[in-house]
Amino acid sequence: MAHVMLRKTARTDTASAPTAVIIDKLSKKFTVPGGGITFTVIESVSLTVGEGQFVSIVGPSGCGKSTLLNIIAGIESYDGGSVTVAPRAGTASHEPRVAYVFQSPRLLNWLTVQGNIEFVLEAQGVPREQWQPRVTKYLQMVGLGGQEKNYPLNLSGGMQQRVAIARALAIEPDILLMDEPFSHLDAITARKLRFDLMEILGRAKPTILFVTHDLAEAVFLSDHIYMMNTRPARIFKEVEVDIPRPRKPEDSVILDLEKSLVREFFSVLEGKT
Amino acid sequence: MKRVGAGLLPSLLTLLVCLLLWKAVSLFFPPVILPGPLALLERMIEIYSDPASYVIVGETLLRIFEGFVISMLLGTLLGLSMGLKHDIELFFDSWVMVLLTVPSVCWAFLSVLWFGISEVAPVLTIVLIVFPFVVMNVWEGTKAMEKSLIEMSHVYRADRALMLRKVLIPQLMPYIFSSLRIALSLSWKIALVAEAFGAGSGVGQELINWFQDIRVDMMLAWGASFMIVMVAVDLLIFRLWARRVFAWRPQFAT
Repeated sequence: MAHVMLRKTARTDTASAPTAVIIDKLSKKFTVPGGGITFTVIESVSLTVGEGQFVSIVGPSGCGKSTLLNIIAGIESYDGGSVTVAPRAGTASHEPRVAYVFQSPRLLNWLTVQGNIEFVLEAQGVPREQWQPRVTKYLQMVGLGGQEKNYPLNLSGGMQQRVAIARALAIEPDILLMDEPFSHLDAITARKLRFDLMEILGRAKPTILFVTHDLAEAVFLSDHIYMMNTRPARIFKEVEVDIPRPRKPEDSVILDLEKSLVREFFSVLEGKT
Repeated sequence: MKRVGAGLLPSLLTLLVCLLLWKAVSLFFPPVILPGPLALLERMIEIYSDPASYVIVGETLLRIFEGFVISMLLGTLLGLSMGLKHDIELFFDSWVMVLLTVPSVCWAFLSVLWFGISEVAPVLTIVLIVFPFVVMNVWEGTKAMEKSLIEMSHVYRADRALMLRKVLIPQLMPYIFSSLRIALSLSWKIALVAEAFGAGSGVGQELINWFQDIRVDMMLAWGASFMIVMVAVDLLIFRLWARRVFAWRPQFAT
C-alpha cells in the first residue's frame, strides 16, 4: 500500500509555472470483502496541476473522481503510481497543506463559524495570533463578514458551504480540493457561489483541483479540464480553456466549448457500452 | 416564555386530579397505612423542623453524589474507549452485559458482606449498578458519530486531542446528558436501598426504622421530600446546563 509522497522542499521557480500536484500513473484496486473479486477503480491516471491553476476533472457520477481526491488528501490508499504534493514556491519548507471542500459543508455544528475556522487553524498548527486576522479576512472574502459568532445551523445551505470554503482558504493551502461543492445547492445559489468563487480566485490565488460531473461548470471555472470515463476511471481527454476572465456562463465561447465536450463525452461513453 | 406558560396549565390540572384521588382513597384507610396529602405535608414539616434531619439527608446526598460521579467518570471513559478501540470493545463487550444482568439486590448484599456497615458499601452498590448503564449509553453514542466529520478532521490533520475535544466529545454530549439523568435517578433509588441494607445511617436507614414501626406516613414523608430534592437537581442543574451546552441547536435558542 503506497501513501501520498510529500515533498518537503519548496518548489523552485523554473521557466514554466511550478507544479503543485503531480499524479503519475496512479492506480487503485478494490477487493470485494470476502469475495476475493478484485476490480480496478482507477487505472493509470496521470495529471498535473500548476501552481495557481484551476484544474477540473469531469466525469460521470461514481467514476472514482472522489476517490482520487481522497487519495491526494491522504485519507485513502492506492496501489500503484505516485502522488506528489509540493508546497508553494517562495514559502518556507513545510508539510504541504491540503484543504478540502466536500459536497456537504461538513461543519462542526456545535462550534461557531469562527470556531469552525479556528479548528482547522489549530489542526494545522497556525500560530494563535494569526487566527483572528485570518478568520476576518476569509469570512469577508466569502461574503460572510459579521457572521463570526453565529452557529452553522442558523445559516442557509449556501452560507454553510461558504463557511466551508472560508475554512479551506484560511489554512492558505498548497492545494485546494473541491468535490462537487455546489451539487447539493439549488441552481440559483449554486450559480451565485460559482461567480463568487471566480472572484475569490482573483484575490486569494489558490491552486484548485475541482471535481464535477457538470461540464458547463467546469468550462466556466477552469483553466484546464481532464475528462474521465468510468469503470475503471481513466483520463481520455485533456482540454486547455483559453477563455479570458472574467467569464459569463452565457458567453458563446463557453457554450460552444461545453457543447463540443458534451458530444465528445457521449461518444466515448456510448463506445464503451 | 409562552411555551412554559402553556405547558403549566395541564400539569397543574393533573396534579390537582392526583391529589383529589389520593385524598379520596386515603379516607378508606387509617392514617398510618395511607395518610392523606395534608397529613403527609404535616409529617414533612415535622421532619424538616428537626435539624438532625438535615444531617441525615446530607449523608445520603453525599453517597449519591460519590456514586453518581464515579459511575459517570468510569462509564464515560470505558464507553468512549470501547467505541474508539475495537480491541477494548471486544474485551469488555460481554462483561458489560453480565454486569447489567446482575440483580441490584445481589450487589447490595455482596457490598455489605464485603465491606460491612460502612461508607464504601452503599457507594460501591451504586457504582456497580449505575456505571454499566452509562457505558452502554456512551458506547451507543460512539456508534452514532458522523464518519464524514472524522474524515474532515483527518484531512485537516487534527491530532487526537483536538479531535476528541472538538469533534468526538461534542457528538457524544446528547448521550452523556441522557446518561447523567438516568444515572442520577438510578443512583438515588439505589442509594436508599443500599442504606437500608447496610450503612447504619441516611434516609434509607430512616425508612427501615419507620418500616419496623409500621409508620407508612413517615416513610412516605421521607421518600417524598427526598424525591423533591432530586427533581429540583434535575430541573435546576441538568436542564439549565443542557440549555447552555446545546445552544447551537436552533430549537434551543430563545
